[in-house]
Amino acid sequence: MKPTTSKSTAERGLYPLPIMASPEGALVVLFHMLTFREVALSLLLLLGSLSFLSYWPDVHNLWLAGVAGSREPPPKSESPASTRSTKAKPVNNNIVMATSKPRTSSFSRNLATVPSSTPGLKYGPNGTIFISSGIPDLDKILGGGFPLGSLVMVMEDAEAPHHMLLLRNFMSQGLVHKQPLLYASPSKDPKGFLGTLPTPGSSKDDKSRDRDPENENGLRIAWQYKKYFGDNQYHFDSNRDVKHEYCHDFDLRKPLEKHFISGQHIDCVSILDSPNLAALRDRCATFLAQFPRNDSSISSASRIAIQSFCAPQCKYSNKEWDMVSFIRSLRSMVRSSNAVAVVTFPPSLLSPSFSRRWQHMADTLLSVRAIPDEDKEMAKLLTGYQDMVGLLNVHKVARINTQVPVILDATTFSIKLQKRRFLVLESLNQAPIDSSSGTSYGTSASCSGSSKTGTLDF
Amino acid sequence: MAESICRALRDGALQGEHAPALTIKDSIVSPFGFHVFTHLLTQLSSNILAAKSQSRGLVLVAFSRSPSFYLDLLNRKGIHVASSQKWIEILDCYTDPLGWKDALLASGYGGSLSNEASTGASLCRNVKDMDKLYSSIIELGKGIVGQGKVRFCVAIDSVNEILRHASISSVAGLLSNLRSNDRVSSIFWLSHSDLHEDRVTAVLEYMSSMVASIEPLNQSAYGHRCNWERLPLLKHNFWKGKFHVRFKRRNGRVRVMSEEFYVEQLAINFRSISSEDEIVNRSLLPKVQFNLQLSEKEQFDRAKVVLPFEHQGTGKPIQIYDGRRSLTDGKSEAEPVSTGILQTNENSSKGEIIYLRDSDDERPDSDEDPDDDLDI
Repeated sequence: MKPTTSKSTAERGLYPLPIMASPEGALVVLFHMLTFREVALSLLLLLGSLSFLSYWPDVHNLWLAGVAGSREPPPKSESPASTRSTKAKPVNNNIVMATSKPRTSSFSRNLATVPSSTPGLKYGPNGTIFISSGIPDLDKILGGGFPLGSLVMVMEDAEAPHHMLLLRNFMSQGLVHKQPLLYASPSKDPKGFLGTLPTPGSSKDDKSRDRDPENENGLRIAWQYKKYFGDNQYHFDSNRDVKHEYCHDFDLRKPLEKHFISGQHIDCVSILDSPNLAALRDRCATFLAQFPRNDSSISSASRIAIQSFCAPQCKYSNKEWDMVSFIRSLRSMVRSSNAVAVVTFPPSLLSPSFSRRWQHMADTLLSVRAIPDEDKEMAKLLTGYQDMVGLLNVHKVARINTQVPVILDATTFSIKLQKRRFLVLESLNQAPIDSSSGTSYGTSASCSGSSKTGTLDF
Repeated sequence: MAESICRALRDGALQGEHAPALTIKDSIVSPFGFHVFTHLLTQLSSNILAAKSQSRGLVLVAFSRSPSFYLDLLNRKGIHVASSQKWIEILDCYTDPLGWKDALLASGYGGSLSNEASTGASLCRNVKDMDKLYSSIIELGKGIVGQGKVRFCVAIDSVNEILRHASISSVAGLLSNLRSNDRVSSIFWLSHSDLHEDRVTAVLEYMSSMVASIEPLNQSAYGHRCNWERLPLLKHNFWKGKFHVRFKRRNGRVRVMSEEFYVEQLAINFRSISSEDEIVNRSLLPKVQFNLQLSEKEQFDRAKVVLPFEHQGTGKPIQIYDGRRSLTDGKSEAEPVSTGILQTNENSSKGEIIYLRDSDDERPDSDEDPDDDLDI
């Protein structure tokens, strides 16, 4: 009998088993270094760990399902079958392989396929619930809308009224979805502003703007791969019910119909004459107390819109610490209720350190900027300059239940009014360089100015 | 552009809109704000008298000069103050803004103080009270134009004087109340920007729809060593400067215009800027990406192009096109040219793929097996 060469472990050292390496590489290493008995043991361990790993995403999904309430259970039936099949086959095969049967990967995200019963709410990942901002493009940019419980701050430009466009769409969307609204402004009669809210445009005739241009029904060139496609194309069209659209396109030329405004839960507050912010804080507290956030299902979300919060004609506007503490308390109140608060303020009227503090308070931070009129340089540089009315910058996007930030492709968008009615956000595009001049934009022939890097960047 | 400002002030406000408001901003390096103010005042007055403007009267709130100064000024420019119809009222906040003379008279001291009673001026004794100031301005204005729908303009001599006595938030409140009052056609005021903090200037600019700033010709740094040879030039250039205006237009864009001015003997003249140093507005130019979107026509044309690797859908075995002329009959051939140009699509759409082979002399298999060319 051949004596088995069993060296002690102390002599050989301990070889850490490569759990995450590819099975073939592990096999090669194992066969070279260890005896047959040890190889068999390590292979069993490897198989065990890999099967655990293929279960693990399902565990993750289960946890998500528990958090977010009623959701479809993940496709558990498929994965045990797959691991069973891989156990039966010899280990040389790849564990993850393209089977002929189209199975959804167990890593798929469980977006809610159950349509939400309340219109105007959209369920997103990580248990967040979105409400629409009223501008479809902005919802797309922010990844679904404004999450409930967040504070949105909009930095105004003293030279342009674009923050009013954002506020109007936000408020109109809330009224169309029958969400209660609290509106505060530094004018004497805030109710008058409700007359300028836009009405939803007819949803049929402007689908020319394709919602999902990348969602082609088939593959043109790689058509041979069509047979591997699963049925994961469903959730694009689930909320496309005409009557209860999540986000409407608002026609800025037509005022909102009366039946949306009357009989609604709308509070209007004038912050012009209040010497301190206690009254406003009380109003907000009583308003938000009606919509507490608890684990039961949500009946309705609510919206708070505060316009030009540090406007100079307000009597409290020189009490900077009071204003900061109001914003902090507003944020904490909103956090524990099913509401979104939008506050606009002109940062140029605050001292720089307070402006920074306010910006840090925001969960979602946007800023609007004016553009110069009849600027030949900009007209040459950007396409669609004629239709642009301003610029929108996205500085921060709210991420409440997760640590993963949103990294946007572009943070600057141009605000355009399509057909002078509908608010459209587009990313900036450079006009084709004139072939005759042949130079890049930095050294354009007509101007002699220094090429300072702009405050806009990507 | 002084002309456009005058036009804007003259045209006034539309129904339901706030009145246009102008801030004239200057500083010590180019202290000609008052010249601009008087220039605009005379222009507006002549417009009012000639009935070319929306407003029929003017209320002048005089803080830094006495009312008689203004009356003399207007008379000198040929504008008749004492005409048959009253069109101007001056609120005198210069003589006794805090009511001290009254207090002295009351306590028996100022027996020798003469009481100036100038024509067309009413006295304001308490400039600290913004509400009172507001109501007296409105009353004076209504006194000129009557009760109807006719409007009047307001000119405030110097906002800095008010800011001495009242806080910026109350002054901002006053200005916004004046703007939103539907009897006011337009309003303009003068402010010296270096008398206050930056925040005050920012607030005034926030409240106004036009900002005119006066700057020296050469922006030299403060406190740099005085160059003695350049002194005559500096002196000469002192009376000139640049006049920048920013209009906030209704569509949300900002129109920036500028011109040069020169001052001679209390009169200011404007002329358009010589385009040597064009200020290039570079602050907003972004690093943009190229336009990768297609227009509708381009999308349509692109959709029409038949790609050679597409699934033809005819059930025939797929032929990979590699540019040779020996192709199946499915593709229509153009006139056979020996250089090997082949068109894939003959119909009227513009989308085509034109494939030029390098040379047709090569043996057919040379693409796949280049080693055959080698002569080993």
